[in-house]
Amino acid sequence: MSTSQSLDALRRANPRNKPGFDEAVDAAAAEVWARVEAAVAADEPHPRQFRPRRRIVGVSVAGVALATAAAVAVFLTVGSSGVTPGVENAAAAFKKAARLTAASAERSGSATVQMTHDGRLWAHKTVRWNGDDLEITDRGRWHSSGLPLLVVNGMMYGHDPDHEGWVEVGPVSSIDPGSGTTPTDILAAVREDTGGATLRRITRAMPAGGLTRTNQSDGSTVYRGTVPAGQIARETGFKEGRVIRVFPFGYVAHDAAANPRSLLDTAVKVGADGVIREIAVTWGTWAYTVTYSDLGSAPALVAPANAKSLREERTETNPTP
Amino acid sequence: MKEGERERRRRFEELFGAYAADIVDYCGWRAGPASDPQDAVAEVFLTAWRRLDDVPRGDAARVWLYATARRVIANQRRSTRRRAALAERMALTAPPQGPPSDPEDSLVHEALRRLSPIDREVLLLSEWEGLSPVQIASVLRCPKVTARGRLHRARRRFRSAFEELTANEHGERRSRAIPAMSVTHADGGEP
Repeated sequence: MSTSQSLDALRRANPRNKPGFDEAVDAAAAEVWARVEAAVAADEPHPRQFRPRRRIVGVSVAGVALATAAAVAVFLTVGSSGVTPGVENAAAAFKKAARLTAASAERSGSATVQMTHDGRLWAHKTVRWNGDDLEITDRGRWHSSGLPLLVVNGMMYGHDPDHEGWVEVGPVSSIDPGSGTTPTDILAAVREDTGGATLRRITRAMPAGGLTRTNQSDGSTVYRGTVPAGQIARETGFKEGRVIRVFPFGYVAHDAAANPRSLLDTAVKVGADGVIREIAVTWGTWAYTVTYSDLGSAPALVAPANAKSLREERTETNPTP
Repeated sequence: MKEGERERRRRFEELFGAYAADIVDYCGWRAGPASDPQDAVAEVFLTAWRRLDDVPRGDAARVWLYATARRVIANQRRSTRRRAALAERMALTAPPQGPPSDPEDSLVHEALRRLSPIDREVLLLSEWEGLSPVQIASVLRCPKVTARGRLHRARRRFRSAFEELTANEHGERRSRAIPAMSVTHADGGEP
């Protein structure tokens, strides 16, 4: 065996070539930025208001996504500072928007997620939340029933397509994970996002791309820039030997969005009230949009009256002889 | 944000974007179980932020960051040593990474484990981090000729260890296969 053969083996064993290295960089980046920002704050005569990461943990699913969107906005600003005139104001506006949005989203709100491909609807989902209660209505290409899934006080309600009315499926925690992604899984995944991975990714420095700002006639402002796909769509695992990356709210990233280094065009719309209203990401013939409403003012979700239990429903469908 | 701060942030972002992966990689294999690689990376870049004016321009910044990372990890280890001498010993003798699943990687890591810490560091700074002997000398704060000599010796020792491990691996495979054949003969009644 030659020296070059042994060194080739050594080079192949470089951790950089192994799965998970990018995530290690992302994780380290979060720590770096947290400490740098803390150092900046400590050096300033008037310390900034930093939002402790832990405060976001435990908010509702959509609240988490909103915080994510807000963080995207902050990232765009910070990562592009100095690129265009007026960015200083943009940075301040974004930070304010992030604070307002996250604070409102902690209580309640509604988010509509839409994905299109070649101009055709690929996925469409509306999530309403109030505290820990949640309603998910999926009208996408693959789930066209349009019947909502509801979680109130830990109890999950759904619909049987063959019968009218609500069905009490059971406590969220008791639903068999083997039957697919449960609400508990969804909540856990998103909370995990906010607990670290997503925010770490988004706050990571990425100076490429300019930031432009457009004032709209309705008083809102649209900020545009490019963000690496890896900052938005997170890696969730492997499927058929390929890494799967998923956008907030659970849609698989395709084409350029599946490559974490691709720069995706991103537009963040901030309303006249300074709260983020929409985040739109486009790449190739794909578009991913999250639109927010009723932040902090969405009505309480109510358990449906006269919901049949699943057992009761099955007994009626298949009566015992 | 003032112009000066904006420029400072821009430069730091460039520095971080260019070399974050290098420092994460280095701290990953250099830190060992008695240290925290992520904490080390954060400390390295926080130092860079605070001393941005001292960070050289161009590729020299990379060497500066490696040297800083080395000191940060050394400080971490000193701190750890005060708490747990045993853990420190483990750190100095531990493989750079956790147990690899790839058989070749396992041999590589075992061969690395057989090297002295300084041989291992010199070798990996060259082969994994892509530093030249001159750059390695800067990181280790030693004369260039010393770095060259260490690298030469480290490569030779690694090759020797890797060859021995590979030969042992092949030998074990053969010895595992031969008894199995004997059993087949016995059971089948063949001569």
